[in-house]
Amino acid sequence: MKKTIVAMLVAMAAMLLLVVGPAQSKGHLSGQLEIFSWWAGDEGPALQALIDLYEKAHPNVEVVNATVTGGSGVNAKAVLKTRMLGGEPPDSFQVHAGQELIGTWVKADRMEDLTFLFKEQGWMEAFPEGLVELIGTDAGIWSVPVNIHRSNVIWYVPANLDKWGIKAPESWDDFFAVAPKIKEAGVVPLALAQNWTANHLWESVALASLGPDNWDALWTGKLAFDSPEGVKAWELFGKVLEFTNDDASSLSWQQATDMVVDGRAAFNVMGDWAAGYMSTTKKLAPGSGFGWAAAPGTGGEFMFLADSFGLPKGAPNRDNVVAWLALLGSKEGSDAFNPLKGSISARTDSDLSVYNDYAKSASADFGKDRIVGSLAHGVTANEGFMNDFASVMEMFLKSRNAEAAGKAAQQIAMKNGIGK
Amino acid sequence: MPNRDRIKAFLTLLPSMILIGVFVYGFIGNTFWLSLTDWGGVAALAENPVRNYAGLTNYKELFTGFLGGGFRQDLVNAVYYSVMLLAGAIGTGLIIAILLDNKPRGEAVFRTIFLYPMSLSFIVTGTIWRWLLAPQGGVNILPTYAGLKPLEFKWLSSTGAIFEFNWQNLLLIGLYIVAAVLIVAGLMAIKQDPPRALKRFLLPGIAIGLATWLFGDLLPKALFMEETHGFNLATIGIIMATIWQYSGYTMALYLAGFTGISQDLRDASMLDGATTAQYYRYIALPMLKPITISAVIILSHISLKMFDLIFAMTGPDNAETGHPALNMYLTTFRANDFAKGAAIAIILFLIAATFIIPYLISSYRQRSTR
Amino acid sequence: MAQVELVDVCKRFGATEVVHDANLSIDDNEFIVLVGPSGCGKSTILRMIAGLETISGGEIKINGRRVNEVMPKDRDVAMVFQNYALYPHMSVFENMAFSLRMARLGKDEIHRKVNKAADILELTPYLQRKPAALSGGQRQRVAMGRAIVRSPSVFLFDEPLSNLDAQLRTQMRMELKKMHLKMKTTTIYVTHDQIEAMTLADRIVILKDGMVQQVGTPVEVYEKPDNRFVAGFIGNPPTNLLPAVVSRGSDGDEISFCGVTFPVTLPAGCKDQDQVLAGIRPDSIKRDGALAALPEQWLIDGKVVVSEIVGSQSLLEFTMGEASVIAELEGRVPAAPGQTMKLGLNLENLLLFDPETEQAIR
Ligand SMILES: Nc1ncnc2c1ncn2[C@@H]1O[C@H](COP(=O)(O)OP(=O)(O)O)[C@@H](O)[C@H]1O
Ligand SMILES: [Mg+2]
Repeated sequence: MKKTIVAMLVAMAAMLLLVVGPAQSKGHLSGQLEIFSWWAGDEGPALQALIDLYEKAHPNVEVVNATVTGGSGVNAKAVLKTRMLGGEPPDSFQVHAGQELIGTWVKADRMEDLTFLFKEQGWMEAFPEGLVELIGTDAGIWSVPVNIHRSNVIWYVPANLDKWGIKAPESWDDFFAVAPKIKEAGVVPLALAQNWTANHLWESVALASLGPDNWDALWTGKLAFDSPEGVKAWELFGKVLEFTNDDASSLSWQQATDMVVDGRAAFNVMGDWAAGYMSTTKKLAPGSGFGWAAAPGTGGEFMFLADSFGLPKGAPNRDNVVAWLALLGSKEGSDAFNPLKGSISARTDSDLSVYNDYAKSASADFGKDRIVGSLAHGVTANEGFMNDFASVMEMFLKSRNAEAAGKAAQQIAMKNGIGK
Repeated sequence: MPNRDRIKAFLTLLPSMILIGVFVYGFIGNTFWLSLTDWGGVAALAENPVRNYAGLTNYKELFTGFLGGGFRQDLVNAVYYSVMLLAGAIGTGLIIAILLDNKPRGEAVFRTIFLYPMSLSFIVTGTIWRWLLAPQGGVNILPTYAGLKPLEFKWLSSTGAIFEFNWQNLLLIGLYIVAAVLIVAGLMAIKQDPPRALKRFLLPGIAIGLATWLFGDLLPKALFMEETHGFNLATIGIIMATIWQYSGYTMALYLAGFTGISQDLRDASMLDGATTAQYYRYIALPMLKPITISAVIILSHISLKMFDLIFAMTGPDNAETGHPALNMYLTTFRANDFAKGAAIAIILFLIAATFIIPYLISSYRQRSTR
Repeated sequence: MAQVELVDVCKRFGATEVVHDANLSIDDNEFIVLVGPSGCGKSTILRMIAGLETISGGEIKINGRRVNEVMPKDRDVAMVFQNYALYPHMSVFENMAFSLRMARLGKDEIHRKVNKAADILELTPYLQRKPAALSGGQRQRVAMGRAIVRSPSVFLFDEPLSNLDAQLRTQMRMELKKMHLKMKTTTIYVTHDQIEAMTLADRIVILKDGMVQQVGTPVEVYEKPDNRFVAGFIGNPPTNLLPAVVSRGSDGDEISFCGVTFPVTLPAGCKDQDQVLAGIRPDSIKRDGALAALPEQWLIDGKVVVSEIVGSQSLLEFTMGEASVIAELEGRVPAAPGQTMKLGLNLENLLLFDPETEQAIR
């Protein structure tokens, strides 16, 4: 029923197109636009800002904001998959840019190529070249990034470091030099939280150990996980773990951040949503209240992750989606969204005056640093690998056997077709 | 006449039979079929995904594959969850029910208090208990109120394990268990029917035990590498929360049963010289056997379906506290490995069936002998 | 073998007192029946003796020992309940063996005792059955068996026969009597059925509203009821109670009721012109041949209202003057309603009650 109505609407829209011709303005869009995401809580207002902009430009379109909360996207993804399998795709859905989208949806041939839109909107120039490469394949570009987060950041409270007489470490060797001292003083050198944050820490450590070229080589299949370099990354990670709290798996990432804020821990490696948490919830001033640096050994490298929206094949209101995607990639749209979300814009030309101090510094780095993709947040590997990697991580946390972890990681890489 | 009645009855039942046939058994069948395919991997979510018949590959990988270690630990966890939940919830519920059955002051209030956790969703329970079991909070600081040192136990993040065994020796352990069960059954039956007990239980039990002990080394290894699994201490917190939630339920079951026993029976047993404990042991509990059986079945099913509580308490990727149901969800909807997810579902289904089918058979037999 | 003594025993449930100052002394080997209408406190008294109910006041002694605070199992009493209270999940054998198991008797001894009891009660073929597979009478016997295996010094029965049909009841009544004659155990038996009371008891205790009305042998309570209630409760059909006036003259005592004056011998408690209730047992009313044995002045005409023939006896309701009277006559008496019949009253058995206090005038 609904479908036939939608089909009729589409047909009518097509006829209108024929009559009015391609010159019709955006204001003439009508019907619905269903946006599927897991942005309900803290991110709700940022999404709403975008929807407001959209509704102003297209008053006749009814925007349906479909959110599925919980499990940091796990639940939303499950619902999305059932809908897609049932042949009832939403108009547009949130997805981590990169392999998480490509491995699941592009390989399954469920997405439309957006190259036409990128060309039309001039985004090939507006977005950094490395980024477009990471979110696309040879066959096309598959989603429009709305934001950029940085994964490889180490956080601290400057006043506390002064008290303990230490500096933010530039390399893991720096860290190992001071960590025992801090630990003796009863302070956890590096705060860690539940399972996924271990993956998050791993990617920063591995990037430091491997360097950006080898990191990229891992994901193109040119470097094996059980190569000497790969195993060395696990070894370094094992050493780092020795300076983390042992109740990690029962803490949320916020609680790990709290440990740093309260002075119970010295450092924490976390994505830059931690900046939003510390400034908004903890009311600390960026720079003075809390400080940050690139994770040890990853200076000059920007490990990114991005939320993006794509255009599923068979979307009921395709024209409305195209208009939505155009808004997401626009300067106006991304500068409305990102300051609220606590992320930076993927565009190189964004208006920095509306961003806070942290975002300004991150934006500057994003413009000049070497850009690499995050594993923990879906850029470099498909979902199958990510799921299995969680098990490998659990195995390593228990056994601390770098050799075995490297082997296991290589096995799951082959199983999940990494680099193919 | 009876024939017409039969047709009418059949016609009345037909719609529900069809619905159940399609939506329950049809889907179970479909899941089983999927578990025999290779549906998964990169094109799993294509509009018409390719599904090739793959035989028992998925099951084999789960039980003996390199990457099935997580699932195997989950399975072991599930067994421990079941055993502990059954013992804990039935034991606690029974004790509370006995206390309340003796009509203390404010019995109605207590009954409501104990039943209340039942009405909470697992998510709420999980959240409450995650706070209570936090390393520096709740339960761990309880002793400080008595002037003692706080507890250090990591309820949800401990990495310790007890009762560990090597998965390679699964066959060996299985045989020992079979032998032990046979011997115990034999010892229990020996009073009533010695020759049968000896022939049917004791001798085979001892034979299997001995043979396993002597020739166990010749058994094939269940896995190519050493892999230990055990009762993870981090699951204690989750078990506690589940018991907390369900002992009120077993209490209500038992209390209703106790109240239904005539006061005369209790009086009679007292005159017969039974103490209160003996009354419950010899009279009340045996009379409530049907209640115990249904509690066991319901609770074991709950423990097999445990999902939301673990999700709320320790998150999706915590191997220490994992559960096959959680694993199934993640395998299916996160890793897109639909065939393997289906295989896990079928394994859970079969385990559940081992609980329910004996019950169905025995109640069916009872009805037909009556 | 035991004596049981109740001294000023009271029972209160909250504020309501349901047993008031009961006094009773039961001899060794005696068969005592507590009888009274439903709700009068019979079971409560029995349960206090058993120890299943606390005693609110007074004391109960068994063999001279105060047992108020003694646990039921230590009082050496056994009880048979109205609904038998068999353990449904146990076989007949296990039901009977339970108390012996609780007493930690040896296996052989348990077998011996249970088998003996089963033998007496003819339960041997049913020992392996569950109670659900037994008839009412068999269950009743199991309940009894459960009591006798312990050879207690006091048996307590709470309306044990009231769930049986009439025929079985009569049969079991006889068996109970025989059993008592054989075992001679002190027995306290509760019933609301006065026939059971009359047939079984060595002595009857009649209760009303938690108060003991009279204690005596069946003949005593039948012939010399202490009050109007006992007269009405014991005997079936009940005693006819007729308003009457007595006069004591120089030429002898007289009593008038139904418009007729009868010469009688009045007890000492009567004064001239007292208003009394005259109690005449239905079997004190005679006719035909039996009339010859009575003085002329005790004859009276009765008009038949209804008549029933019950076996070898007949029950008739007459009107005599104003009053309506029930008579139990020997033989099958053919009588049509409205017919007038010549009757005689045997006033030797005349009962007199004070209409105010309802006590017997003696
Ligand atoms: N547990 C109780 N609580 C309150 N009242 C009771 C209780 N048991 C008996 N009674 C009351 O005590 C009176 C005597 O009861 P009972 O001894 O059972 O009478 P019966 O002579 O019929 O056996 C009745 O009025 C009954 O309502
Ligand atoms: Mg009674």
